[in-house]
Amino acid sequence: MGSGDSPILLSVRNLRKYFPIRGGLFSSHIGDVRAVDGVSFDVHQGETVGLVGESGCGKTTVGRLMLRLIEPSSGHTFYRPAPEAEDRLSQIYEALGPHHLSLDDGNEKLPANAAALLKELDQLARKYSLYRMTPRQLHKLRGKLQIVFQDPFSSLSPRMLVRDIVSEPLAIHRMGTPRQRYQRVAELLQAVGLNPEHLWRFPHEFSGGQRQRIGIARALALRPDFIVLDEPTSALDVSVQAQILNILKKLQSEQDLAYLFISHHLSVVRAMSKRVVVMYLGKVVERAPTEDLFTRPMHPYTQALLAAIPIPDPTYQRERLLLKGDVPSPASPPSGCRFHTRCPAVMPICSKVEPPLIAIRPDHFVACHLYPAPEGTAAAAAPVDEPAASAAPAEAAAG
Amino acid sequence: MARTAAAAPKQPVILDVRNLRTYFFTYDGVVKALDGVNFAIRRGETLGLVGETGCGKSVTAFSITKLIADPPGRIMDGTILYKGANLLWGIEREARFKPIPKTNRVKVTRWYRRIKRNLDRMNAVRGGGISMIFQEPTSALNPIFSIENQISESLLLHRGETILDGLLAATPDAPGVKAARAELMRAARTKDINTLREAARAFGAAVHVPSVGTQAYYILRHAWADPEAHEAEIDRAVDRIRFGGLERRYLRRQRRILELGRQLKDVYMREMREARVLGGARRVIGRRRLATRLRSFYFGLWGIRGRVRRPVTQETFWQSVQLLEGVSIANPVQVARGFPHELSGGMLQRVMIAMALSAEPELLIADEPTTALDVTIQAQILELMRQLRDRVGTAILLITHDLGVIAEVADRVAVMYAGNVVEVAPVRELYKRPLHPYTQGLLASIPRMDQPDKKLESIPGSVPNLIYPPSGCRFHPRCPHAMPVCKEARPPLTVEGEDHQVACYLYNGPTYRG
Repeated sequence: MGSGDSPILLSVRNLRKYFPIRGGLFSSHIGDVRAVDGVSFDVHQGETVGLVGESGCGKTTVGRLMLRLIEPSSGHTFYRPAPEAEDRLSQIYEALGPHHLSLDDGNEKLPANAAALLKELDQLARKYSLYRMTPRQLHKLRGKLQIVFQDPFSSLSPRMLVRDIVSEPLAIHRMGTPRQRYQRVAELLQAVGLNPEHLWRFPHEFSGGQRQRIGIARALALRPDFIVLDEPTSALDVSVQAQILNILKKLQSEQDLAYLFISHHLSVVRAMSKRVVVMYLGKVVERAPTEDLFTRPMHPYTQALLAAIPIPDPTYQRERLLLKGDVPSPASPPSGCRFHTRCPAVMPICSKVEPPLIAIRPDHFVACHLYPAPEGTAAAAAPVDEPAASAAPAEAAAG
Repeated sequence: MARTAAAAPKQPVILDVRNLRTYFFTYDGVVKALDGVNFAIRRGETLGLVGETGCGKSVTAFSITKLIADPPGRIMDGTILYKGANLLWGIEREARFKPIPKTNRVKVTRWYRRIKRNLDRMNAVRGGGISMIFQEPTSALNPIFSIENQISESLLLHRGETILDGLLAATPDAPGVKAARAELMRAARTKDINTLREAARAFGAAVHVPSVGTQAYYILRHAWADPEAHEAEIDRAVDRIRFGGLERRYLRRQRRILELGRQLKDVYMREMREARVLGGARRVIGRRRLATRLRSFYFGLWGIRGRVRRPVTQETFWQSVQLLEGVSIANPVQVARGFPHELSGGMLQRVMIAMALSAEPELLIADEPTTALDVTIQAQILELMRQLRDRVGTAILLITHDLGVIAEVADRVAVMYAGNVVEVAPVRELYKRPLHPYTQGLLASIPRMDQPDKKLESIPGSVPNLIYPPSGCRFHPRCPHAMPVCKEARPPLTVEGEDHQVACYLYNGPTYRG
């Protein structure tokens, strides 16, 4: 996958996270909130991937899973897979099809050599997957994978000085002497546009934008190569937002950082990222390079999302594409395509068959029945059960 | 997009805010949240009020409706002219201020009687005059009452007379009703939703109570198979507006009480308009109202009240359903019976809008109505507000920090910074030719969907502390064009082109409004 201009840093494959709903007698397990349901994408070294979607679509959960802050229900995140391993992984996943969980997952047609493939996958996962690492390995990796949280008011401890907040990761990883750490913290503060005099203050003495800078400095302390930016500017004003975005861009070009930029604000994502992943109710509905996605959005949801953004120009004319209704609950997602309840271009097949994520252009993936898979690609052969797909419209017409 | 007010000849001003000052007296000192805010809203116009967090947008809204938490806040000075009545009349006699030596604090002594009287006056304006939508729809509604209950409360409070008039004018046994009813049943048999809707409307018109039509529509809408089975329900719908003589008399008395209440509000309005106390007129009306109340209380004891209450609650229920239909809620009957926790944020905001519009206000203050919502839901709400503006013609004060929302909905924009209005202009003019350096910086700092390659400019620094605001122009510490004069005196609002005012020393047009 990927255009291969820079090596793959993180490769997310078939990631799932189901949060159990407990209730009834003895708090038994009565259902699942399918927060993330089979998400795959790659993050290349030194580039930004934007993750877009409405609230409750699982954006933040993906970000936390990618750092193993929470454990996934299934799936893998591979960290710096070797090129050959990466190729082999792609082949295995292609052969297994997009919906596999394990050999017990009876509702999917698995190839004859599935057992061998799964075994090989398991071996590769042991080597590269975040979720198979030992605590010691993981501890080493924590410095490389960092996060900046959404709310700068609750993500900094009110009892710690800025110096302690920023130098805590250095201390945990036993980097340098206290004097060296102190110098590093001063450097970091300078890099995010704060002064060394701010070292001796508490978080409550700062404004929202400054606190977010402290959060960024903390994330940078261990020289990471990947930072999850979980809505870093949504709690900030526009003028301050621009400051933060500019700092993030500058740091990226200086330190060859990769970002996962999680936001519901499409215009910010457009300004920041190279590739964009659009999520709806735990599923990826579209994945494409930024320019391609914003100039030629293919999925109806992406189109509606783009049309919904208010453009700060009163003379700007465009057609309105209003979605009806609300986002359904992820505890009981709609059958088939999860977007079919709100889709303006809904067809009978949509409520029956879940559309696979297929490549309709190089590097542009979309999960929608409007776009039939081009002939000859691997994706066309794999997922859709042909008789079921053709039977669905007839059934709907009859009923 | 129809921007009616911008093109039409100038409408009369319905709300004129002049030199509004609101301070908060905190332990750390006096927060000068609003320091001389000036703007005006014309009839039917949408004015966008935009600015960063803490610049006083919401405080402006709360000052206009006098909902400032007191203590610690107080409106210190200024005039808010609503249709010629000064809502802040008598505010200077409500409290006394004495600085505490050696601290930044100020001792505030309040006269609660005067405050109470002035709030009573304000009640004459709330609802029917100025209505408000709050930022957080999930916390604006009461969780223990059903949606219908809460809309009904607002309806009875602000439109009680109209509702009772409607019930008294009902004609359940008029000659045309039978025919309309037969037509309704025929329409139900056609299984066509539009025909049914039309027939139901005609049925409502025949009995002179439109809500009966709505009720009939929702009874028959899901009864395609066997509409005749629901005839008894239709009968009950008509029965609820059939009143006996005693019941009518009771309703008329209740109407009289409400009418006296409205007269009292008129007196309060007159007091604020003429800036004098009309104690005599108020006492006369108050006495009359009390007498009527006592008389109808004994009357109600005979059991009439119970027989009348039910038709009135049913009427308000169906009127709530009509209001919910008006804000494009797909299943209004279920929503009306539901409770706030059952609805999503977008739906709740629709309910809030329906509730705010139920009183048919002259001015609607929308305080960040879409900030808590997702973009797709925001687009729905903005579309709804645009439709309502075109249909109802209410003036809207739209408060937001999102310049995109302003560009989509507003006719004119007022930009606020640190408790001052720094620029007022028609929306196109402002985006094409922003004059104040702050407005320029604000516009340059938005990432644009239509211009992805634009470099993001940012305004250096952050919003000042309003306990110790900068001297002179409050923007000068962050301003790229700051001059020595900016530190010394506050720039006046000057006129730069038609309808365009700016408070900045870079421009030297004639001073706005003297």
